[in-house]
Amino acid sequence: MSLSCRGISFSYEVGGTQLPALRGVSFELPAGGSLALLGASGAGKTTLLQVLRGLDRADSGAVLLDGVEPDAAAYADLQREVGLVFQAAELQLFAATAREDVAFGPRRLGWPEADVTTAVEAALDLAGLPAGDFGERHPYSLSGGEQRRLALAGVLAMRPRLLLLDEPFVNLDPGTRRDLVAVLERLKAAGVTLLLATHDVDLAWSLCDQRLLLADGRVEAVGDWDFAGAGGSLLAANRLREPFLVELWRRLGRATESAPRTAAEAAEALA
Amino acid sequence: MKAAIAQYYPGSSPLHRLDPRAKFVAVTALAVALFVRDSFSGLGVFAVAGALAYGLSRVPVRWFWRAFKPLLWLVGLTFLAQLIFAPGEPFFSFGFFHVSWRGLELAAFLSLRLVVLVLMGSVLTLTTPPIALTDGLVWLGRPLRRLRVPTDELALMVTIALRFIPTLLVELDTIMRAQRARGADFRSGGPGARVRALVPVLVPLFVLSFRRADDLALAMEARCYRPGVVRTRLHPLRAGWGDAVLLAATAAAIALALLV
Amino acid sequence: MTASPAPTTAPLIDISGLHYRYPGARADALADLDLQIGEGEFVAVVGANGSGKSTLARLAGGLDKPAAARRALACGHDLLTEAGRLAARRDVGVLFQNPENQLVAQCVEDDVAFGLENLGWAAPQIRRRVDEMLSRFHLEDLRLREPHLLSGGQKQRTALAGVLAVPRRALVLDEPTAMLDPAGRSEVLAAVAGLHAEGLAIVYVTQEMDEVVTADRVIALERGTEVYSGIPSGLFADTGLVRRLRLGLPAAGELALALAERGRGPVRLPLTMDELLAGFAGSA
Repeated sequence: MSLSCRGISFSYEVGGTQLPALRGVSFELPAGGSLALLGASGAGKTTLLQVLRGLDRADSGAVLLDGVEPDAAAYADLQREVGLVFQAAELQLFAATAREDVAFGPRRLGWPEADVTTAVEAALDLAGLPAGDFGERHPYSLSGGEQRRLALAGVLAMRPRLLLLDEPFVNLDPGTRRDLVAVLERLKAAGVTLLLATHDVDLAWSLCDQRLLLADGRVEAVGDWDFAGAGGSLLAANRLREPFLVELWRRLGRATESAPRTAAEAAEALA
Repeated sequence: MKAAIAQYYPGSSPLHRLDPRAKFVAVTALAVALFVRDSFSGLGVFAVAGALAYGLSRVPVRWFWRAFKPLLWLVGLTFLAQLIFAPGEPFFSFGFFHVSWRGLELAAFLSLRLVVLVLMGSVLTLTTPPIALTDGLVWLGRPLRRLRVPTDELALMVTIALRFIPTLLVELDTIMRAQRARGADFRSGGPGARVRALVPVLVPLFVLSFRRADDLALAMEARCYRPGVVRTRLHPLRAGWGDAVLLAATAAAIALALLV
Repeated sequence: MTASPAPTTAPLIDISGLHYRYPGARADALADLDLQIGEGEFVAVVGANGSGKSTLARLAGGLDKPAAARRALACGHDLLTEAGRLAARRDVGVLFQNPENQLVAQCVEDDVAFGLENLGWAAPQIRRRVDEMLSRFHLEDLRLREPHLLSGGQKQRTALAGVLAVPRRALVLDEPTAMLDPAGRSEVLAAVAGLHAEGLAIVYVTQEMDEVVTADRVIALERGTEVYSGIPSGLFADTGLVRRLRLGLPAAGELALALAERGRGPVRLPLTMDELLAGFAGSA
């Protein structure tokens, strides 16, 4: 699913005054593409994701899904194909078994029970919690990393074509973090469009085709920029550093635009 | 997002600086006296006392209105009930309803009494931060400890609960949004459906709270908290001349109201 | 039983043969564990989830009762007795992972005062110490702020100030930066570095290797037992162990492991780009 964000503005009302959170945010994300949303805390990343999912209505501007405008009849159905994984997603677990929790979303979509079962099994497997072993487990008996995966499965079961993730890697043990990266790579390979808000510049570099830097609700940079070209003051002002591999390539005297995205790629290039 | 009830308005007026114990005792005494005396003149004295106190607190009037608004329905209901059901010769009838002068008088009195009561309570809550009020109540409730009532622990529970209300409201909102993103619907359907829709919100909130209670207890023990041990305070309660004046003025107002 | 006055090399935390099992668990959370921390030492504790790191942190702080131990002394207090544990809670501070769930009061300065109020200090002394802590951790502007209006890093700094308001001889931190964003993380790491510079004994539990670099010593746990104890560089040299324990490697380490798989890795696991580049130069 392609995503087109046109001039989105949004303000919060706090005690009578309006606090702008997003100011004229615009960008394009083609179907099957991936975008990393970077920015300091309070820059507006969470707000943007919730507006994109339709949980909040923008004050002005439009979000087009697959080129379809918000006032079109088909828009509501398209919105149901957008998945949003919240920060600390394990907060949403509530059912008695893993299967039941994952089934919540598909059931709300009104799918026949047979389809729900298939979707649940597939989602659990994809998230790294094989249904055979984990299906009947109580969500609260799972470890932190497993709970995070279960929450992700709950969103994946709805077969989103556009997946939004809000800081999915925070407070994850290193092993689960690596597994989650693998899951996202698999989704990318399957053609799911990804948009993820993250603090991790290295993951933003390795996982995503594009990067968007949000500062104080405004788009400061967007595209396949390599950080090196973005200018030191922009990075410093937003408390970002260059991805490790970009800096390494720069210090080795090689062209940063073609810097490798992953450690494996880098090792190949250097070996 | 704050509840209008028990809302504290920060300031440095004479009333703000008074000891919470004196304020609490004064308000309680006035409230009791308010219900003892059944005349408009007495009520008038209390109303003037209440208004004077409010003026002294320098809290903008709209804050009183904000605290009072939720109770408007109660006042209205009291007024109507008295108007309709009070005994007396009706001067105006409409089918079932008989309105008498006596009824009108009673309705006015009871409604106004309610207003004055809320006014006094508001002066207390608007000028006293919850933690100070709790400390004051703990001190006043000290004798209860001999009856094995854990006043200090209850006070700590209250302050901790108040501390976490804003946090819980944010978490509640977040969980609701996460479930909405999975297709949950909290608005449509009959009462049964709406209650069922709350399960995916309340269960995580409860689990979160239990986990929080465990973590918090551990953190408190790590800072040497022990139930039953007397704790000192960073801001100890200190009664002064102003408090004596308040109590004297309260006694005078009550005496006047009872005599008038 | 208190430790007799010893020469300055006497360990502040002296644990030998520690066992702990959670009720209803099938295996020990900690099995026959030894741990000695000296005055002013900075010891990191690493290990995968479930390796016993958090359990150790709680026991060292006197917050839980060991199942058995040959010796379990924290600042001279016997952790096997109730009285010893209570006394240990005063000398050993513990900072936990979740900043939100450590703050009890309705504003920052009241929370920092909490520990001292529990110990029955007089109001003027509490005031002085609280002001000292607020200044030390750069919280003066936030002294009346309510906890829900603080950022993650600010909350954790407030919790740290509250823990250290009680004068401590040792500080245990259980993954204090896990839930923080990069800004909060550097705030807390800077505060901890400052405490180490002042000579406070520190036990730092973490899964991130780059937080371990400045430690005097590292202890690695696997399923409740110690599998490594020594200087950080020794642990970094054992790439197999690092992988087995599923420890979080900084990017330089990841790249070095990838190169090692292709037969071109540096001899010693680098943690920074400089170390990596030096490794390249060395092997050229």
